[in-house]
Amino acid sequence: MNVSLKRIQAIIVKDYKEFSRNYAISVMILFPLLFAFMYRSDGAEQATMYAFVINFSLAMLTSFVQACLIAEEKERNTLRSLMMTPASMLDVLIGKSALVFIISAAVLALSTYIFGYDTSNMMVLVAAIGISILLYTAVGTICGLYSKTLIEASLSIFPVLIIFTMGPFALVFEEDYPFVKVLRYLPSSQLSELLNALEIGATTNELIMNLVIISIWAIVLTVISFVLYKKRLMDR
Amino acid sequence: MNTISVQNIQKSFAGKPALKDVSFDIPKGEIFGFLGPSGSGKTTLLKILTAQLDPTSGSATVLDKPAKLMQKTDQKRRFGILTDNSGLYERLTIEENLELFRGLYDLPKSSIHKVLNFVNLTADRKKRISVLSKGMRQRVTLACAIIHEPEMLFLDEPTSALDPVNTAHIHKGLRYLNENGTTIFLTTHDMTEAETLCERVAILHKGEIRAIGAPAELKKTHRDGTLTVELTSGQSERLPMNENSATQVANWMSQGQIDRIYTNELSLGDIFIKLTGSELV
Repeated sequence: MNVSLKRIQAIIVKDYKEFSRNYAISVMILFPLLFAFMYRSDGAEQATMYAFVINFSLAMLTSFVQACLIAEEKERNTLRSLMMTPASMLDVLIGKSALVFIISAAVLALSTYIFGYDTSNMMVLVAAIGISILLYTAVGTICGLYSKTLIEASLSIFPVLIIFTMGPFALVFEEDYPFVKVLRYLPSSQLSELLNALEIGATTNELIMNLVIISIWAIVLTVISFVLYKKRLMDR
Repeated sequence: MNTISVQNIQKSFAGKPALKDVSFDIPKGEIFGFLGPSGSGKTTLLKILTAQLDPTSGSATVLDKPAKLMQKTDQKRRFGILTDNSGLYERLTIEENLELFRGLYDLPKSSIHKVLNFVNLTADRKKRISVLSKGMRQRVTLACAIIHEPEMLFLDEPTSALDPVNTAHIHKGLRYLNENGTTIFLTTHDMTEAETLCERVAILHKGEIRAIGAPAELKKTHRDGTLTVELTSGQSERLPMNENSATQVANWMSQGQIDRIYTNELSLGDIFIKLTGSELV
């Protein structure tokens, strides 16, 4: 499979222009900043609230924007036109995901600053959020590919938002309802657990398992998004 | 030397045949028209030739390579495609859309200026796609399909729903490309388009090729062997082409009674109806 930086760059530039002129979608960058401002705290619950803000932002910004960008291209047949150019499947997927990754990373960094979250182990925090952005981008790609229209894509994000963002909060019921324990393995629960552990000074080694679980989610969902892309956009 | 060679292609969807044993060749530099009503299999064949679809059986080569390789990057540089639903980026300007394609094909900046001139859109290059008329959009789509000066151009209903002025504009451009060596494969249900543009046509009906040849040849083959003589008196006579008719015509001519005289040829549309028993839709 060939990958060309020039082709990826052409797709990123095009997506950036489209994104910046589509106010219905670009307005989503304000939500993480607004939530970070509303929930900023330095009390005992700081890590839990920060995890909520990050998980919510990943679904509402990363997945939502990616799903809308993909669905709009599908709806207008531009994705098929791209496929008829020398752009490979990887060029298109990397190009389309790169813009969302860059925007998400910048907005989440700004949100973290506004929220006032600080940790001594910045490397683990950056790795966890970076892998999560990849994961939620893949979720957005999957939602976008399954949707026939832009409206369908924006609605398809709600189950993601509810399960991934609210999942960690449902763990308070795990003693009464043992099956709820499965939610512990959600990437959002793992991120929340990791942030809480960071707050009490856990070492990098103690956080490896959280990072591995989030990475497995990221790899599996990325592979699914690639396979789905190929299946959905080729008639063969 | 053939640019496209199709041998016994068959394609079925859920057991229902869409193409039945289709075979033909297109020599380099030809404009070839694939005629048929909606649902006759034209787009299915175009998708097979551009590797968007696999045939159930049979084989095809395009630009000396098996058609299934047409999605490889090297091959994709060699052809352009324009379909009736080719998408453009609505929020971008004409120039920005072409800038994307220039980047994807890794072309020099001058290619944008050149192709804008070609489709006569230089003055409108800063306009967003969302404000363009259907005809202008189709010209932009054509510009995107030919910006890399392909050897082979696939066109699926290129002028459907366009007015005569825009249609003439597109036709002029296609003829120019063809004169400069581009082989053109065109699917259409517009018989006038086929007749004015194509060197050869194939008539497709329910997945089968019913006739193939130059429009003039097809007309010759399917003419009804009669001629019409319009007399100065206003009377019109339809005569078989034989010795008796020749004598009759000579007679009228010697008396100066003939106003017009012509052979009765079927139009491509009439030939289609004759061959398939159905009207083009």
